[in-house]
Amino acid sequence: MATSAASRRESFARAESLCLGMAAAFAVLGGAGLALLLGITVAEIVARHLLGNPLVGVEDLATTSLVVVVAAAVAYGARAGSHVSVNLLGRFGQRKLTRITDVAARTISVSATVVATYALFAEGACGRDCGALTGSLGIVHTPFYFVLGTAMAVYALLLTTQLLLGLAAWHDEDPNEPRL
Amino acid sequence: MDGPVVALLGLLALLALLVIRVPVGLAMLAVGVAGIALIRPGATLPVVAGEIFAVASKYSLTIIPLFMLMGGLAVASGMSRDLYQAAHAWLGGVRGSLASASIVACAGFSALSGSSLAAALTMGRVSLPEMRRFRYDDALATGAIAAGGTLGILIPPSAGLVIYGILTEESIGRLFIAGVMPGILLTLLFLLAVWIVVWRDPEKAPERAVPVSWRERWQATRRAVWVAGIVVLTIGGIYAGVFSAIEAAGVGALLALIAALARRALTSEAVREVVGVTLQASGTAFLILFGAFTFKVFLGFTEIAFLASQWVASQGLSGTHVVIIVLAMFVVLGTFLDGFAMLVLTVPLVQPVLESLGVDMVWFGVLIVITLEMGLISPPVGLNIFVVKGVAPDVPVHTMYRGIAPFWLAMLFALILLVAIPTLATFLPDGMYG
Repeated sequence: MATSAASRRESFARAESLCLGMAAAFAVLGGAGLALLLGITVAEIVARHLLGNPLVGVEDLATTSLVVVVAAAVAYGARAGSHVSVNLLGRFGQRKLTRITDVAARTISVSATVVATYALFAEGACGRDCGALTGSLGIVHTPFYFVLGTAMAVYALLLTTQLLLGLAAWHDEDPNEPRL
Repeated sequence: MDGPVVALLGLLALLALLVIRVPVGLAMLAVGVAGIALIRPGATLPVVAGEIFAVASKYSLTIIPLFMLMGGLAVASGMSRDLYQAAHAWLGGVRGSLASASIVACAGFSALSGSSLAAALTMGRVSLPEMRRFRYDDALATGAIAAGGTLGILIPPSAGLVIYGILTEESIGRLFIAGVMPGILLTLLFLLAVWIVVWRDPEKAPERAVPVSWRERWQATRRAVWVAGIVVLTIGGIYAGVFSAIEAAGVGALLALIAALARRALTSEAVREVVGVTLQASGTAFLILFGAFTFKVFLGFTEIAFLASQWVASQGLSGTHVVIIVLAMFVVLGTFLDGFAMLVLTVPLVQPVLESLGVDMVWFGVLIVITLEMGLISPPVGLNIFVVKGVAPDVPVHTMYRGIAPFWLAMLFALILLVAIPTLATFLPDGMYG
C-alpha cells in the first residue's frame, strides 16, 4: 500500500518535472523574443530619430514579438512560482485546512487555464478568414494565438501535476506549498 | 438574475478564490469566465481569447518586459552596488547615514527598475550587511530597505503606473512624469523618518561610518555615471518629449546592455539570470492583466459601474470625498490583498464613478500607487517585508514591523499632502503636456 502510494507520488513528480522542463523551454523562446523586441524598438528609434524615416510595420513586428515574450513569461512564471496569490491562509490556517483549500484552488486554476487554452486554440484558428491580421504587414494572428494557447496548456498541465502531487501528499507536507 | 446581483456575487466569489490562494490572475479569469457564461454564454470563448490576445499584443505593454530587462541588466552589471556606494560616499559620516544611503540608493535603483520587490531585494543584499557591520538596529535597517524598495512602483519607470495606465487608458508617459515629484517627496520624507528615529534614539545607529574623502566621493560618483546617464536619457527623454515611454524603455534597456557588456558582466549565467528575472516579472504582470481584462468585460456586462456612478451622484458626494473614501479603502485592503490584485480589482469599478465627478485620473493614479506602496509594507502580507526577511532570515518579522512604522507614517503623510495639494503630482505633466 505504502509502496504504491510512494510510486504514485514518484510518477506525479516525474510528470511535474516534465512540465517544468516544457516551461523552461519557453524561457529560451522568451529570451529570443526579448532580444527581437529590443532590436526592433532600437531599430525604430534609430530610423525615426537619427535617420528621420520611420520604419513601416514596426508596430506589427513589436506586438507579435511581445506575444511570444508574454507566452514564455506566463509559462516560465508558472515554473518559477511567480504568479502571485494571497497567502493569508498559509500564515494563519493549519495544514489540515490548506490541503483541502489547495485542492479546490488548484482545481479552479486548472479549469480557468483549460478554458483559456481551449478559447485561444478555438478562436485563434479562424485567422485570415476572420480578418485576424496585423494592420501594416498583414501577419496572421493564428500562430500567435497558438503560442499563447500552448503556454496556457503547459501552465494547466503543471497545475494538474501539482494538484495530483498535493493529493498524493495528503498526510505529509505539500512539495508545492506557497512559500511566502 | 439582475446584472448588479451577478456582479456582487462575482466579487464575493473572487474574494473567496483569493482567500483560498488561487493565483490572482487565474481567480479573476475564472470569475470573469463564469460571470460572462452566466450573462452572455455565447460571448464567453470570444471574450476570453480576444482579451488575452489583446493584452498580449498591446503595443504600449512592450514597456513592461523592456523596463524589466533594463532593471535585470542593471543588477547584473553591478550598477546597484555603484548606486549604493555613491549614495554612501555623499551621505557618509553622519548618524543614520547607512540607512539614508539605502533609501537614496533604492530611489536611484527605482529609476532603473519598475519593481519594488527587485529594489528591496537588490538593495537589501548590498546595504544590509553594511548596516549590520556598523551595528545598526535591526528594525531600522530592515525597515529602511523594505520601505525604500517601495519607491520602485512610484518612481518611473513604474510597473504599477503602467498597469494603472493600461486599465484606465491614461497616457503612461504622463503618469510617469506625474510620479517624479511624489517619488522625490517620499524619498525626502523617508530620509526625515530615519533622521527622527536616530535623533530620538541614537543607539539605533550607534557607530558613524568611516568618513569618506572628496576624492573617494568623486570616484564613487564617476562609477555611478552609467546609472545617471540611463535615468537622464530615459526619464529626461520622456519629459523633454524626445522619446515616447516605449522608446525610453528601449533606450534604457540598450544602454543597460551596453553597460553590462562594457563591464564584462554578461556571462552565460548572468544572461540566464537576466532573462529569467525579466520573464518572471513580466509573467506576473501579464497573467494578472489577462484576468483583469476578462473580469472587466464581465463587470461591464453587469452595468454595475454605471449604477454605482448613479448612486454616488445621488448621494451628493464630491470627487475629493470619493477619492478619500477609495484611498481609505485601499489602505485597509492593502493590509491583506496583493497590490496589483487591488489595483485591477477596484480600478474598473471606481474609474467611471471618479470620471463622472471630474477627478483627474493621473493625480488619482499617483495616489493609488502610494497606497499600493503602503500595502507592500503593511502587515500581515506586505511582500517587501518578506523579501527583506529572505535577506535577513534571523531578524524576527515583528522587529521588521516595528522598523517599518515610521516609514508607513511618512507615506501616509505624503498621501495627505498630495490629496491636499494635487499640483504636487500634476504640475510636471500639466507643464509638459498641457
